[in-house]
Amino acid sequence: MPLPKFDYLKPHTTEELSAALAEHGVDAKLFAGGTDLLVLMRDRLVRPKYVIDIKEIKDLHELSWDERRGLTIGAAVTLNELMASEVVRERFGALWKAAGTIADPTIRNRATLVGNICNASPAADTAPALLVLEAEVEFVSAKGKRVTPILEFFRGVKRTSLERDEFVKAVRIPNPPDGAKGDYLKWGRTRGEDLAVVGVAALVANSGEKIMRIALSSVAPTPLRIFEVEKIPKEEGSVAEQISKAVSIVREKISPITDVRGGKEYRIHMAGVLTKRILEGLLGAS
Amino acid sequence: MSRHKISLTVNGERYEVEVEANRTLLQLLREDLELTGTKLACERGDCGLCTVLLDGVPTKSCLVLAVEVDGRDVTTVEGLAEGEQLTLVQRAFIKHGAVQCGFCTPALILAAEALLKRNPNPAEEEVKEAVGGILCRCTGYRQIIDAILDAAREK
Repeated sequence: MPLPKFDYLKPHTTEELSAALAEHGVDAKLFAGGTDLLVLMRDRLVRPKYVIDIKEIKDLHELSWDERRGLTIGAAVTLNELMASEVVRERFGALWKAAGTIADPTIRNRATLVGNICNASPAADTAPALLVLEAEVEFVSAKGKRVTPILEFFRGVKRTSLERDEFVKAVRIPNPPDGAKGDYLKWGRTRGEDLAVVGVAALVANSGEKIMRIALSSVAPTPLRIFEVEKIPKEEGSVAEQISKAVSIVREKISPITDVRGGKEYRIHMAGVLTKRILEGLLGAS
Repeated sequence: MSRHKISLTVNGERYEVEVEANRTLLQLLREDLELTGTKLACERGDCGLCTVLLDGVPTKSCLVLAVEVDGRDVTTVEGLAEGEQLTLVQRAFIKHGAVQCGFCTPALILAAEALLKRNPNPAEEEVKEAVGGILCRCTGYRQIIDAILDAAREK
């Protein structure tokens, strides 16, 4: 089936993009990789009058890292560009791993990290990684810019805190604390192509400042950070006991639904299994 | 709906065309340029059968707007053989019986060509990863993977 009709706009600067959004915001959709947008349009679930391609804007292709400011990922950076970065692989392991679980390598040549979070699926694979890494989202509009923690970005199924006249310029991730290690595990029906039945990201540090951060996808209306586990490393107990505490907290705090990919009970069970697996891997106890 | 004049190179030939905003690269190739080697199936990025090389990079053409490829270089399966001379990958597919109905073959061959250019000696896992976004419902993939590994050895 052909795509519905629309006007295609291609701004060359962030100023032109802000102006286009100020004029057409309500009727416009931003277009980077198109791997979600064009599918939604084909299904007539989204009917923009204007499709605004952001890929000609040089600033939005920024992928940079610095010792002080951490990692900056522009809105037009593809998942494969992100994965090709040594810094991302070495210092932001949870994000690197999560990016590689999305769809397949051909899709990742087009799909972007910022698109993944702006689509705001509860199953967004990069979201749990961004939550444990405490990423920030930089918004820009004709009125100016603002920065918000990723935690406040997701507002519901397919809903974010992005206003109609704004665009996400970049995601910024501070350097993780020294000694911290991260990972993401995705449980799906097939290895490629499918959305997560459950996904778990974790960031832990066992030396120096003791840290345990866990976030999940596909277990609630939004990707979910489980703050209640964060006190665990400060308490008494062996690594095995800590892991077992984390598993019961995760199972208790999530509220998954039953859908085509799995039942509620199965999701709760697998969230526990993945939490155990990811923590055993990161804490070196198996 | 907006219309756009674009110029692109397909299989080494330059084309100047006018496209409507909602036209996909897949439609442009199949319907306007009559290059029907690139297949239309799911139209939602799942099956990968419409894969072409966009500036050498495997890309699902059902999820690319034609207007986006202004100034870019596209390779389809028709652009691989030189006259009657098939590429190593194409010959390996024949040798290993990696083709049954043939519908996925153009996409798989293009993905394999791009992989071998980037990584001339891929491990089996890397081959599986590279063609992971392209579905074949006939062969069970074994012959396809063997063909690509064989083409790599021949190179």
